[in-house]
Amino acid sequence: MPQFFLNKRLIFLLVSIIILVALIGFSLREREELTVPEQFLKDATGWIQNVFAKPQGYVTDFFENVKDLQNTYSENKELKSRLDKLAKLEADVQQLEKENEELREILGEKESLRDYEPIQATVIGRNPDRWHEIIIINKGEVNGIEQNMAVVSSNGYLIGKVKSTQQFTATIQLLSAMDPTNRISAEIKGNEEYFGTIEGYDVDRELLKLKRIPYDAKVEKQQKVVTSGLGGIFPQNLSIGEVVDVEPDEFGLNQTAYVKPGANFYNIRNVMVVKRVMDQPNLSDMVDDEEEEL
Amino acid sequence: MRKFLLPLLFIFFFMLESIFVQSLPAEMFNSDRILVPRFLMIAIIFLTLYGNRNHGLIYALVFGLLFDVVYTEIIGVYLFLFPFIAYLTSKVMRLLQANIVVIAVVSLLGVALLELCVYELTFLINKTDMVFSMFVDLRWVPTLILNLAFIIIFAYPLKRHFEKYAQSLKAE
Repeated sequence: MPQFFLNKRLIFLLVSIIILVALIGFSLREREELTVPEQFLKDATGWIQNVFAKPQGYVTDFFENVKDLQNTYSENKELKSRLDKLAKLEADVQQLEKENEELREILGEKESLRDYEPIQATVIGRNPDRWHEIIIINKGEVNGIEQNMAVVSSNGYLIGKVKSTQQFTATIQLLSAMDPTNRISAEIKGNEEYFGTIEGYDVDRELLKLKRIPYDAKVEKQQKVVTSGLGGIFPQNLSIGEVVDVEPDEFGLNQTAYVKPGANFYNIRNVMVVKRVMDQPNLSDMVDDEEEEL
Repeated sequence: MRKFLLPLLFIFFFMLESIFVQSLPAEMFNSDRILVPRFLMIAIIFLTLYGNRNHGLIYALVFGLLFDVVYTEIIGVYLFLFPFIAYLTSKVMRLLQANIVVIAVVSLLGVALLELCVYELTFLINKTDMVFSMFVDLRWVPTLILNLAFIIIFAYPLKRHFEKYAQSLKAE
């Protein structure tokens, strides 16, 4: 009799392992959108998370304020020194913007890849196990958020993209997540501009990997890296970070630059989801018959 | 009212994990070490050991599914591991003395096993390229220390609460 019970348990265990594998396989597929029960569960918990997020925000804000007060003096000094330069810079920017607009009008080009509409959102949850770098925000489809939109931190640096959306909440995958399908077309600013794609994150050094830079490109340290807008969904010119190191890749055909992200991936309170004004190109328009789809 | 207390408590722990990770100061993270709160797992283990085993397993199943759907978007990992570890600890405790220190150690071992299994599974589905020695240094040991602190603080209140719960179940 005990033998029989042991067998029953063994069978139960094996069956549940099979179900486990099936479920993992199901959720690892590239899904356009989550199933309805999943969306419902996420929205329901999102509502509760919203309730918790408010007081939590007050508490963390309080501690941050206290911390800020501690180094007000030195900060103030530095800010004052920069303020003088700012006035001149502002005047310059205004003039340039005006000029740019005029030139665009002459060319008859109204929309640009740079234009975007920001949607403000507050972070209401974060994955505690931190294997999948995921955060949850309090805006969803009703606010116009769609899958794959770019997400920018409050200081203006790219931090990730929208992974999935529900009616009232959305899930964001951070750049620091390891996901081979998470590629962002980027551009290194300098005298000459070089294009590459951000693929992957070096956990050890906390740097993003910018791959596929041409082998003859002369990339220097501290050059700024921004999105190129050529990926089809992100707008152009969102800051990502700056180059700290360049290496030839394993076959010597390309170079890989290590990019220090400008955004802090840890204390994220408020984010902006960025909606590109310019239309997305259809995938079928972009893929030639001769070219292989990536 | 009493009926809702237990689900509310577990929902609170469920939210607490996310809040904890979100509001920990950045410096602690930037020191490379990753602390993973496993408060929910600990509460489930205590419920299975002090309260009612079957209720513990049901809570493990429900909150495992919720954890998967809400936090990781990969269904199955926690759905399987939470009940599995709760069941395993209840089996182990049959062999050992039901003393609060022993139970604290067993639940810490449960958390250790959970972390290890989650690491192996994430590694298997290629969502991380962390090598094992790095995992031990950066994640396993800091996580266990954090959860040990949690167990030390909450073991006694949890024990009392779940014992009361078991009594009220018997009275019914």
